[in-house]
Amino acid sequence: MANRPFSKLGEGLAKGEFVLTGELEPEKTCDLSHTIKEANEMAPYVHAANVTDSPLGIVTINSMAASNIIQRETGLECVWQLTVRDVNKLGIAGMIMGGHALGLRNVLSLTGDHTALGDMPESKPVFDLDSSTLVKLVREMVDEESINGHEIECPPTFHVGAAANPNADPMGAEILKIGRKAEAGAEFLQTQVVYDIDRTIEFLTEIKKYKVPVLLGIFPMKSYGIAKGFDTFVPGVSVPPDILAKWKGIKKNITDKKEKKAAYDEANYEFFKPFITELKKKGLLAGVHCMAVHYTRIFPKLIEVIKA
Amino acid sequence: MVVITTAKPDEEVFEALERYDIKKTVVVSCGTCAALCQTGGTEGLENWTKKLEEKGIQVAAGIVSDDVCDNRVMMKDLRKIDDELKDADGILTLSCGLGEQSLVKVLGRKYPEKPVIIANNTEFMGMTERIGRFYMRCRGCGDCLLNDTGGICPITTCAKSLMNGPCGGMVEGMCEVGDYERDCGWVLIYKRLEEMGRLDLFEKLRDSFDWSERGHQREVVFR
Repeated sequence: MANRPFSKLGEGLAKGEFVLTGELEPEKTCDLSHTIKEANEMAPYVHAANVTDSPLGIVTINSMAASNIIQRETGLECVWQLTVRDVNKLGIAGMIMGGHALGLRNVLSLTGDHTALGDMPESKPVFDLDSSTLVKLVREMVDEESINGHEIECPPTFHVGAAANPNADPMGAEILKIGRKAEAGAEFLQTQVVYDIDRTIEFLTEIKKYKVPVLLGIFPMKSYGIAKGFDTFVPGVSVPPDILAKWKGIKKNITDKKEKKAAYDEANYEFFKPFITELKKKGLLAGVHCMAVHYTRIFPKLIEVIKA
Repeated sequence: MVVITTAKPDEEVFEALERYDIKKTVVVSCGTCAALCQTGGTEGLENWTKKLEEKGIQVAAGIVSDDVCDNRVMMKDLRKIDDELKDADGILTLSCGLGEQSLVKVLGRKYPEKPVIIANNTEFMGMTERIGRFYMRCRGCGDCLLNDTGGICPITTCAKSLMNGPCGGMVEGMCEVGDYERDCGWVLIYKRLEEMGRLDLFEKLRDSFDWSERGHQREVVFR
């Protein structure tokens, strides 16, 4: 078995550093220059960045290819998001070896939004594996250096993570599901976006028993429009009314563009600093995963929060 | 159990009849499942006879058969209308896909050149709440999990057929597929096992489904 850690993220987690990961969302394009620009902007601040796999079932450039290009072009380590929606077990096993050969060392196991939701609803929804059995497959390939008992000549090395949702209702079902992911061998968890601190504390306290490092999913809001859209269109997540009101106030009362941007950044800092600090103090977090795509200018502020 | 069928649009059926140049047909209507679904039975036979005649297609004979899907029944029933069948260009069946394929097999012995056109789409094996309300609750996967999941099938009630749900597409117990109007199958399982005091079964990590013997045509032959 190869010696861990395999990546900067894995090393940070192993050393108990408080890690920060960002998120990159390549679009329906073969040209990654915009994503590469954002990757370069966040690179000085983060351990790694997630690269999404056709979120909402809307087809984009393949996440394995995008992760490889981003790593190659920017040096920023990627967390390759891999859903079980589009490829069967055989195909995914091949991709795990391919991903390693392309230099990827972190993979996030996700179910993926159903094909029916996206822009190719006629596609066959595969789901041969699920988010737990994909974790198990990766661990088998990495640690046992085999697939179904068949040896892999040069096995892959990956840190495999999984998702967790503190907003889930019923929460009990989600907690037991995290237990399955832990049993399958998940090495880290990245949570869905949270704004409700009490619920988050309850959830993180419950899953502490599984001993999997947790990166808290946060979504700093770049503008009132983004905050409102997030609150309206992201199922299961609501932005607290006082936050929405504050963001609305910034939009309404500040006309100078530069000042407005600074006010939004400051408001995010003010909201997330006590939020993260409290969870950190309680020993519930191993790091933060910032999902605010296209909002790279927040990272210098965010790193202040992380280091506080 | 009922094999649930819905009617194909008339135009699609007439196009198929035209494609095979059927000017005179025998109509075989299922008196069991399709009759319950109102896509067959006596009423279906009468409706289709009228529609066909309006389009100038002659109906040589029309029968309501108890089990179109049973080869033995169809052998017997087709024998009774052999003269009309001999004279017809093909058969229009008001049945499920099993019925059509049973007819193709039986008909093929004597009239391999005659086409069989189907008027229905086969939807699923249905649980009946009442007539007109049928629900898919079993996919016939061949490896029943119900003893582990509180008697609720995740392969069917989970839109992704996950072995370890619920997924992130569940919001307040509802499924992302169908605009959160349908229950998440895995939450139903969770609640049922919670009521039974058996959440230990819910927590169990399940292997991915074994397709090695399930991913192709199956048969049950025991004598």
